[in-house]
Amino acid sequence: MNVLITGASGGLGRALTIECARRGYHLFLTDINKTGLESLRNGVERQFPVVVATMACDLTDDTDVDRLLAHLDTYGIQFDMLLNVAGLDFEGGFLEQSRKNVLTIVSLNICATLRITHAILSRRAIGKSFSLVFVSSLASQYPIPLKATYAASKRFLLDFAYALGEELKNRHVHVLAVCPGGLVTTRDAMDGIKAQGIWGDMTTNRIEVVTRNTIDRALAGKLVYIPGIANRILSLFGHLLPRTFITMVLYKRWTRSQGKWLDIGA
Amino acid sequence: MKTIIITGATSGIGLAIATTLAMDGYRVIGIGHSEQSCRKAEQLVHASDPTGECLFKAADLMQQREVHRIADELEPYIVQTCGGKVHALINNVGGVRSWYATTEEGYEQQFALNHLAGFLLTSRLLPYVLAARGRVVMTSSNSHKGVSIHWDDIMLERSYNPLLAYKQSKLCNLLFTKELNSRYGSLGLRAYAVDPGLVQTDIGNKQTGSMVSLIWSIRKRFGVAPSIPAQTYRYLCTQQEYPSGFYYYGCKEQSYSHQVTDDNARRLFALSERLCAITYGDVS
Ligand SMILES: NC(=O)c1ccc[n+]([C@@H]2O[C@H](COP(=O)([O-])OP(=O)(O)OC[C@H]3O[C@@H](n4cnc5c(N)ncnc54)[C@H](OP(=O)(O)O)[C@@H]3O)[C@@H](O)[C@H]2O)c1
Repeated sequence: MNVLITGASGGLGRALTIECARRGYHLFLTDINKTGLESLRNGVERQFPVVVATMACDLTDDTDVDRLLAHLDTYGIQFDMLLNVAGLDFEGGFLEQSRKNVLTIVSLNICATLRITHAILSRRAIGKSFSLVFVSSLASQYPIPLKATYAASKRFLLDFAYALGEELKNRHVHVLAVCPGGLVTTRDAMDGIKAQGIWGDMTTNRIEVVTRNTIDRALAGKLVYIPGIANRILSLFGHLLPRTFITMVLYKRWTRSQGKWLDIGA
Repeated sequence: MKTIIITGATSGIGLAIATTLAMDGYRVIGIGHSEQSCRKAEQLVHASDPTGECLFKAADLMQQREVHRIADELEPYIVQTCGGKVHALINNVGGVRSWYATTEEGYEQQFALNHLAGFLLTSRLLPYVLAARGRVVMTSSNSHKGVSIHWDDIMLERSYNPLLAYKQSKLCNLLFTKELNSRYGSLGLRAYAVDPGLVQTDIGNKQTGSMVSLIWSIRKRFGVAPSIPAQTYRYLCTQQEYPSGFYYYGCKEQSYSHQVTDDNARRLFALSERLCAITYGDVS
């Protein structure tokens, strides 16, 4: 099994990489962070007997992606699975962020994801089963003030996954959207989770469980995966309650925890 | 002036060891996590011994790249200023994590920080410790008891539990100590592992969730001040004659888990060499 992972050297990307390596899959890893990719390749090769290839790439840059694709084409690599992990967010309200940052969220989370997905799907082995995974977020379940762009970008991925899954159902392509809550990937993330107190503990997903289940569910052809009971309940609220009410509640909560988070960060 | 290198020297036990040994007249090189905490610790240590020499450097020791960088930076200093000799290397850095999280290599963080960081740094500094017929001291813990090494999943990706990961990493400290003695004892090096006891530090409040943090905040109230275990390190580093045995608590030898066998020690050593892409035999 050949797997391509984007955003591989981030926290979730690393965990998914390890999970796939443990299963014996061969890996092509990409990320904007070149040093991180090299460290990760070393770490995987020292532990597992799998082939690991890496190439740094800025997925928001068309020419850079073309370079990556040319590289794949030279070696004629075909994939059986694509894990779209690359994505980002910037803290702060819409007007508090720079225009550039706001657009970067859309350009990476949406445009870049479509760019690489289209390219890799077009290069899949026809007639063989292909698993396509989008890492969306619990944030896709409702509009979130102060995280408006991010939440909407993740909603895009979720809706897109549903629709594309139907479109490609008869072409051996299975599409899965993963909607994790908090994941402990960086020191900042840990601080952020702690700032939310017991609430943070409850909605935080165990990354090693999420990665294992993600691959299991992708192989089983599932459509959506929301990890953890607490998060599934929260998502249910998202379906039952009026959106105006949800945005009001979330606005209050984020104002509070962002304040606390900034306190810790300072 | 003899040189002592201490990792995790900017707070808790490491900082107490640094001040204690600086007052004893040692040149202290401390390694901490952030530039800011290093400057603060440097001031504190300097204040306790205004005539002494101390140097603090920041590195994220859980990342192997950073361990290599710090070793690269320290080497010329050791050669030029310390006469090429390190009297003692105290691998004290350690941390707790509530959740499975990985380093750049994709290694579980407690294993990487509590064990591999010391393993790798020791290999880099070994020639200078050997030149001094010096000592390597690991901060282990009594909590190393009651677990065994999960050889088929040493990063615990399949069965992560924060306490298990911590305990296993502390068992690794003892196994590493044992193997260092087997390999380099005849060359004059001595390695020790210390159980500091329950100590009032913030270790369980850093990079942990609110549950673990809360439990630790309650638990640490029953602990002793970091200056108490610092005396054990002082004892192990300053005795003219090598203290016997290799596992200490309160300046006294202690019994350790029956998992601390030569077989396990050799096996962990070989695995750690592979995970760090180094060979200890390389020292000249
Ligand atoms: N406290 C206890 O009861 C107890 C019991 C048994 C064993 N131990 C062991 O004692 C050792 C020291 O712990 P402590 O209780 O003194 O905790 P501590 O106060 O948190 O000290 C840990 C030290 O390591 C540094 N550090 C943490 N992560 C680092 C990283 N990634 N890179 C570089 N430096 C890093 C910290 O820097 P900052 O100052 O920037 O945080 C600090 O200087 C650990 O090995 C621990 O397992 C403690």
